[in-house]
Amino acid sequence: MVLFVIRRLILIIPILLGLLLLTFVMLRMGPGDPAAAIAGDNATPEQIAAIREDLGLNDPAVFQFFDYLVRAAQGDFGVSVYSNRPVGLDIAQRLPATLELTIVALLIATVFGLIIGVLSGVWRNSTFDHLVRIFAVIGLATASFWFAIMLQLVFSMDLGILPLRGRLATGMPSPPVVTGLYLVDALLAGRLDAFWSALAHIILPAFTIALGGLATIARFTRSSVISSLESEYAAYETAVGYPRRRIITPYVLRNSLVTPVTQIGLLFGAFVSNAVAVEAVFDWPGLGSYLVEAIFTNDYQAILAVTLVIGVIYGIVNICVDVIHGLLDPRVAETM
Amino acid sequence: MLIFKKFLRDIPAVLGFIIVFAAIAIAIADPLFIDAKLANRPNIIARLQPPSWEYPFGTDNLGRDIFIRVILGTDTALGIALGVVLAAMAIGVPLGLYAGYSDGLVSEVIMRVTDVFLAVPQLILAIALAQVLGRGIESAMVALAVTYWPFFTRTVYAEVRRVRTALFVEALEGLNASRTRILFAHVLPNVAAPIIVRASIGMGFIILTAAVLGFLGVGAVPPSPDWGLAIAEGRKYLPEHWWFATFPGLAILVLVLGFNLLGDGLRDLLDPRLRRSR
Amino acid sequence: MRILHAAMFAAVTLTAAPLAAQAPEGELVWGDTLPKGLDPHVVYDVPMQFYMLNVYDGLYRYVGNPPELTPWLAQGHEVSDDGLTWTFTLKDGVTFHDGSPLNADDVVYSFQRLLEMGQGPSGAFLPVLDPSGVEKVDDLTVQFTLKHPYAPFLAAIPLVSIVNEDVVKANEADGDFGAGWLSSNSAGSGAYIPDAGTYVPQERLDLARFEDHFYGWDDNPSPIDVVRAYPVQETSTRVLALMRGDIDATDSYLPTDQVERVKGAEGVDVSQDESMRIMIIRMNNKKPPFDNANFRKCVSHAFDYSAFIDVILGGYAERNAGPIPKNLWGAPDDLEPYTFDLDLAQEFCDAARAEGADLDRTLEIHIQSALDQTTQSAQVLQAGLGAVGVNVELIASTWANLTSQAASPETTPDMWVHWVSTYFVDPENWIGQMYDSDFHGTWKASAWYQNDEVDSLLDQARAETDQAERAKLYEEASRKIVADAADIWIYNTVQLRGLSDRVDGYKFSPVGSGGEIRWMSLN
Repeated sequence: MVLFVIRRLILIIPILLGLLLLTFVMLRMGPGDPAAAIAGDNATPEQIAAIREDLGLNDPAVFQFFDYLVRAAQGDFGVSVYSNRPVGLDIAQRLPATLELTIVALLIATVFGLIIGVLSGVWRNSTFDHLVRIFAVIGLATASFWFAIMLQLVFSMDLGILPLRGRLATGMPSPPVVTGLYLVDALLAGRLDAFWSALAHIILPAFTIALGGLATIARFTRSSVISSLESEYAAYETAVGYPRRRIITPYVLRNSLVTPVTQIGLLFGAFVSNAVAVEAVFDWPGLGSYLVEAIFTNDYQAILAVTLVIGVIYGIVNICVDVIHGLLDPRVAETM
Repeated sequence: MLIFKKFLRDIPAVLGFIIVFAAIAIAIADPLFIDAKLANRPNIIARLQPPSWEYPFGTDNLGRDIFIRVILGTDTALGIALGVVLAAMAIGVPLGLYAGYSDGLVSEVIMRVTDVFLAVPQLILAIALAQVLGRGIESAMVALAVTYWPFFTRTVYAEVRRVRTALFVEALEGLNASRTRILFAHVLPNVAAPIIVRASIGMGFIILTAAVLGFLGVGAVPPSPDWGLAIAEGRKYLPEHWWFATFPGLAILVLVLGFNLLGDGLRDLLDPRLRRSR
Repeated sequence: MRILHAAMFAAVTLTAAPLAAQAPEGELVWGDTLPKGLDPHVVYDVPMQFYMLNVYDGLYRYVGNPPELTPWLAQGHEVSDDGLTWTFTLKDGVTFHDGSPLNADDVVYSFQRLLEMGQGPSGAFLPVLDPSGVEKVDDLTVQFTLKHPYAPFLAAIPLVSIVNEDVVKANEADGDFGAGWLSSNSAGSGAYIPDAGTYVPQERLDLARFEDHFYGWDDNPSPIDVVRAYPVQETSTRVLALMRGDIDATDSYLPTDQVERVKGAEGVDVSQDESMRIMIIRMNNKKPPFDNANFRKCVSHAFDYSAFIDVILGGYAERNAGPIPKNLWGAPDDLEPYTFDLDLAQEFCDAARAEGADLDRTLEIHIQSALDQTTQSAQVLQAGLGAVGVNVELIASTWANLTSQAASPETTPDMWVHWVSTYFVDPENWIGQMYDSDFHGTWKASAWYQNDEVDSLLDQARAETDQAERAKLYEEASRKIVADAADIWIYNTVQLRGLSDRVDGYKFSPVGSGGEIRWMSLN
């Protein structure tokens, strides 16, 4: 097992290198001059030329790339051409917000997806089941940023029962940083007011992001439950006279979990993608809104760094999923 | 004919087919009824009118009929999705065929490059790339195609690996058939089903992703009737002028729903191993 | 589905209570945009003025509307007859936030730091001032020696924040002049002290009142003690946040539809102030067919000014006929604005065609997707030019792209839309930097206008120290540029800021757009 994990970890290295190279090439091709961005609105052409030189933008591209690699390995993502702040600092400040949002979204998607999926599979062809199936296809076809706006319209603007934007009520001091996740930090600090406020703020964006995943998990769970119920083993137990509930609970559930869990790795990518536009809609101060800002300001260092960080997290999540999958189903580990 | 009857029994799939068919019909026929230039022209006096008989979906911030623009947006959405999916297939399928069929360095490189592209969520890469290429529908399409082909390569690769050991391939090799001939004349038809399913689902997926690009301002450009762009503009007029952002989003929902249902139906029909649900 | 519903309902009822939380007493929540970074010598954008005015002090400061140049850290200044030597005397007893005294060394360091780094507002000084030209005479006197006479020098002085030399130097790394550190910390003497610990770029910054500020607080019996800057990104969200009491102030560029909403709501109002910020559609005068004056006139007559200003903007803007804001000296009173007249436009376009201009090419107008008005104005122009048979295509872009494209006439778009805000209150800020060919390659001069007479008028205006004489020169230059239809000048901005009724003493100035908190109080 350990060997399997190590092998998966090593596999990520060439991918990361390729990723860095890809984004580096892309961004060097792009329009817009980072030196001009740094120099600011009233710069003269001479000022811009001097900054180009300072930034090493006149060096051969290969040097620039290796320079970036060496720095990235040390956790130094350079200085934002936009704000002059270290990009690493900005990312460190914003990453927890995105993680919190994605984790809560995953929880929502998994918990509700499993519950709905199991019930719908067990009560196959009931009204509930039909509604779930309709919900699932609609959930997968909804543009998350539009859904975010609609939720905002109904719950915040119209009914006024949930906050419109942000992570915490305005004016409320944030809980002392331990994990960076406000929900956890607020509880650790015993700040119930901050906890409720953070919870109220995270509901809409997290639910928006979770929607597609919830639908996917519900759908997969439903069909696994159905195939387990139809399997010969379950048929045998029913024939022998076990009560239906006793069959569903231990046997069907365990078997039905394997497929949805493997979906979570894939879902994470979808969640991060959704988060970009959804964070922008809800002013959620995470990596997604940071990426959008960086793109609008041609902030090369920031775009490279965010892509890299998301790639690393994506890679780690997928390794975790593989490992969990391996634990649930040892045959998988052997084949990899 | 049996397969056709089977399809007709799948009500969601038929619904999906109807939606997709209607959308294509609208996209082809609308130039007959609507002058796109006129539909883009501001009519300031009638700005931000609520839905009425005259304007079923209301009017936007420049007084243009949102209903007409939603209809015109179908062209844009379908055009983008079709262009991207075809381009991604043109790149992804041959690479997948080759990598799946042969062993060796080239095959290995293709799959590692595929891994790199798949290592970051597609949208993130597409945003960055669209930004690099300059704003506009064309660059958005290139960006989406460049980030979507690996999905085809992956699918085809896996399928070819499965088919490669089949008896008929070995037989053909024994007959000294050329590699290209084996790949395109014999292997491709055998892996066509998953490609078609992937393409249909891909259409829906690309429409969604292109809408995000339009929404973030890295896709379609005004005065294009692009739905994502319209939502971004309409959002600024909430909550009073709710219709502005609402209807284009519903249009996305309906069209994507159509492709997804159709894709699911096709999968059930063509690819029994991947049956979705019963 | 039912479970989901129930869960959401439970969550909603549980969390509804703390939502009503209003900003606490004595605290102001400012919802306008924050600057991209906090170093006043590096970042030079409009939001920076909010930060500079509250956290830092300069030798002079613009106060009120029309803006009056008021001695601030300086008691006053003297200028030699040749206009080359400027001597500023500092006020005694000014202290920085850390309690150390502010003296001539800090002023010299601040100017030299700005000039050496060559970023931010340094562009206004670099052509006339070398770092060695800034000298300390004694603890309270600083002398500037210019390379050649430059009348707008004084007008640009408020651009330079005075930083605490010892603090910045203590935080230098790799000869960066402390820029890395200062981008998220402060070293000022201003009326408010930022809490660097709370700073998250573009998201939040808390400021506390500096009781020992040199200006004293006698003029304001109940100043605001705590300011929380929480920028809200999207306008409609921002307005809603204001109406709910989450924030006390929006940005100062509310769109018309939102203005009506705020005016109609309880407990909030809109402050309406004519500023000095002109909106322009730029034409690249070096790129055919824009090199043809008749064609430029055709375009100028094809824009429906009144539909744009009166209907789309609801009349919240003032038509501006030329490149200088009409409420500033130097703008001629008798300037005739171009009118929307499609017949006239057609005549000019025909004339241009007759002169061989190729009007069949599809012209590009670049807009900034984030700014609605750039899109709307471009579409209005597109419709007008379409009516005279000229095709225009909109290209979405960003500020960063457009400013770097402005570096050469080949990369500069056919047309693009932007504003020129008040960086310093002198016609030089507008006409001087926009139409003097010396500035070619900068975004302000992206019309690539070339007229030797205008160049020489603008040069004379820089060297001349008498304002009445300078005004005449600028008026003449304005007339020539408008006659050439170098660009399409649309309006001078009426700034519209949504404010909570609990804010008193809001004091607008085109520099900083009313963001100076020290004048305000909460009732």
